[in-house]
Amino acid sequence: MATGIKDKVAIIGMGCTQFGERWDCGPEELIVEAFTEALGDAGIERSAIEMAWLGLFFQEQSAGKSALPLSMALRLPNIPVTRVENMCATGTEALRGAVYAVAAGACDVALALGVEKLKDTGYAGLPERTKGSFDDLWLPNATAPGAFAQLASAYQARHKCDPKDLKRAMAHISVKSHANGALNPKAHLRRTITEDQAINAPMIAAPLGLYDCCGVSDGAACAIVTSVEKAREMGYKDFVTVKAMQLAPSNGLEMSNNAWDGSYLLTTRIAAERAYKEAGIKDPRKELDMTEVHDCFSVTELVVMEDLGLCEPGGAIKAVLDGEFDRDGAVPCQIDGGLKCFGHPIGASGLRMAYEMYLQLLGRAGERQLASPSLGLTHNLGGHPFRNVASVSVLGLHS
Amino acid sequence: MTYGILSFGAYVPHLRLARSAILDAVGWAVPGVRGLAAGERAVANWDEDSITLAVEAARDCLAGVDGPVGQVSLASTTLPFADRSNSGVVADALDLDHEVLTEDLAGSRRAATSALARAARGHGHDTTLLVAADTRETRPGSSQEMLYGHGAAALLIGEGKPVAEFLAAASVHEDMVDQYRATDTDFDYALEERWVREEGYLKIVPDVVEQAAAGAGIQVGDIDHVVLHGSTGVARALAKPLGIDPKRFADPLTANCGDTGVPHPLLMLASVLDNAGPDQYVLVIGFGQGADAIILRTTPALALVRAGRGAGRALAQRRPLANYTQFLSLRNQISIDFGLRSERDNRTALSAYYRKRRDITAMRGGRCRECNTLQFPRALVCVKCGAAESQTPESLAALTGRVKSFTEDWLAYTPSPPYIYGNVEFPDGANVMLEFTDFGAGQIKVGDPVRLVFRVKDYDTKRHFRRYFWKPAPLPVDGD
Repeated sequence: MATGIKDKVAIIGMGCTQFGERWDCGPEELIVEAFTEALGDAGIERSAIEMAWLGLFFQEQSAGKSALPLSMALRLPNIPVTRVENMCATGTEALRGAVYAVAAGACDVALALGVEKLKDTGYAGLPERTKGSFDDLWLPNATAPGAFAQLASAYQARHKCDPKDLKRAMAHISVKSHANGALNPKAHLRRTITEDQAINAPMIAAPLGLYDCCGVSDGAACAIVTSVEKAREMGYKDFVTVKAMQLAPSNGLEMSNNAWDGSYLLTTRIAAERAYKEAGIKDPRKELDMTEVHDCFSVTELVVMEDLGLCEPGGAIKAVLDGEFDRDGAVPCQIDGGLKCFGHPIGASGLRMAYEMYLQLLGRAGERQLASPSLGLTHNLGGHPFRNVASVSVLGLHS
Repeated sequence: MTYGILSFGAYVPHLRLARSAILDAVGWAVPGVRGLAAGERAVANWDEDSITLAVEAARDCLAGVDGPVGQVSLASTTLPFADRSNSGVVADALDLDHEVLTEDLAGSRRAATSALARAARGHGHDTTLLVAADTRETRPGSSQEMLYGHGAAALLIGEGKPVAEFLAAASVHEDMVDQYRATDTDFDYALEERWVREEGYLKIVPDVVEQAAAGAGIQVGDIDHVVLHGSTGVARALAKPLGIDPKRFADPLTANCGDTGVPHPLLMLASVLDNAGPDQYVLVIGFGQGADAIILRTTPALALVRAGRGAGRALAQRRPLANYTQFLSLRNQISIDFGLRSERDNRTALSAYYRKRRDITAMRGGRCRECNTLQFPRALVCVKCGAAESQTPESLAALTGRVKSFTEDWLAYTPSPPYIYGNVEFPDGANVMLEFTDFGAGQIKVGDPVRLVFRVKDYDTKRHFRRYFWKPAPLPVDGD
């Protein structure tokens, strides 16, 4: 009988670059920057790393395919390196690979590194790309904001809410994330904004305006993991362990069948349920101290609060406006600024979320430190609401 | 069983450009077009071409018609492909059997009337869909820009209960180059209208009409409706020598459509059939390097077939296009800077297309034999019940959908911003994310019903290819 991943693997070092428009950096510089911090943090020799996982989404225009971008940038001594890609869940998937390897006993110390160099396209937003030879024949050439805007459209229809209330709740989410990002020296966007600015910003994909969209950023983040036994052996005292790592990809139901009404994220619900089970969480609202969710767009965060069980179905607008997810709320969300303001270098984002959990749990988050958190959740949503992969992870202090 | 025209249909693209907007834009250079600047002309949207127009006219013609179509004849001088069966694409879009004989008729404004004359003279065994469509582009400031419009019409010809029977037809060929368009050029080159009228229409047409009337065993003066494309001046001039009351000349649709080219005689005929009574004689004239004359007699079956279709209905569907610059851009005559996103490579993997050609062109999804769930795309495993290889192909093209969610996207590239797309629900469980067309910003809400239309999905400007798919569009409004 499988027992899950809870408390089998410890994170002993993490690193994260400054996120943003890193015009002076390519993927190689970003990889080295994140890795150097993590190695110093773990206080180990680089030769201790036995296996590595690289997370990278847009290989076409940044680092290229395969293990090579990581192996070559770090001049790794020909250790096994596997590149993983699962859209916006890519960074978390790299971590899952490393975590599973040490849990399986295949190695003692493994590295997970996610990187993305997005700002070489010459235009704003994510790069244009083919969706595959069949899908290109029929699927709209949807952008990410356009795909997620439909979440707002269907949510509003499902819950019969006033579009103005929804827009205001979305604005509240962005105002909160900007305020959080302002306290984070590594964040891409560090200016605060007002609710009026958010509401009146230029329209990108109705009803999402400019401030409903996250930053498109360059960056890298990484984690060094080992087994709990090995961590103790190596002399670590307080450390963060993985409590759950779950992944739920769509099987086509949302895209092809009316069983889904477009107003929620089916896979997020499934992944969350599994993760809570794996972590032994009964009441997430009470047990979780903080979350880093996939706030690619303000409306995504709003809907995800319901899908993670952090508020009642249809209750997100009120919960958001009541400040339940603000930094001083019941369950703070995006305490580091989130995708919205920390930024969203796709392959790095899942690891960036884990990085914030790690800092918060160890009490090293500086100006934005929460009062003694012990359990946090990270969530990624790769793809579009109608077809995606969702990952939910729980990290906590080892008890 | 009688041979004749079994059904008819029409399609006029919904965009209508006021000719005054053309005058406002080009009058400084060519004040002479002022005399033409009344009414409005039909304009094909950026995602419409002669194939998509033909498909819409054919759908209108075939709606509610029983029995197989054996042949598709597509007539046009503006077919998008010089070598690729354009009529084959139309046949696939109509989800017709692959054994249908398809032919492309081109090279003359008479391409459709000559085919009609051929049909009138004798017939094969197959029920034939004769569909004509044109999207003639015009040089800014030209008379043609004022006079032309885009449109399509279709006739179903064969054995059955015809709405009109063929009585006779006659044709002549005279190489009078009144206007022409070389294969490698975009625009028509037209000669003086008065020369064309006096040496062309007045000398060539009466003889052909006489021949046809003689063949039909009627007097020309007995004809109830004359379909004659060209300027109203031509109709006035011909009334006297033909001995027909000018009132019997059908409306050339100048005020609300413009001269559509090859389809125009069929479009005017569809308009006549919309309003004609039984046992009336209809003369259809085609002109251009000669002439065709076809004489038909309507039947009582006309009253049964025409409800909710035809030219009146087509012309009632309109969306004003106020901006002349937008008109030029939609027709690809000026190059607006749509930014780096418009540089996207739209290469089609044609082997993938070939595997899925019916799924794409006829929008065939699958219906699960186990749980009856309809789904697009069709898959090996049912999305609902998980049964394997359980799906029977079924087209969704004729279904009415309901908007589940949508957005107006100002970031994505489209020749007609905003790019509108969303999830659309269909009966029996199906949901498909689709690009919308013929909607502007603020014109859709969740829950609205939509119909599907066959359109250009995107253009591959590098390889001069275009691909087609189905898009939700507004439901038609009631016509005349």
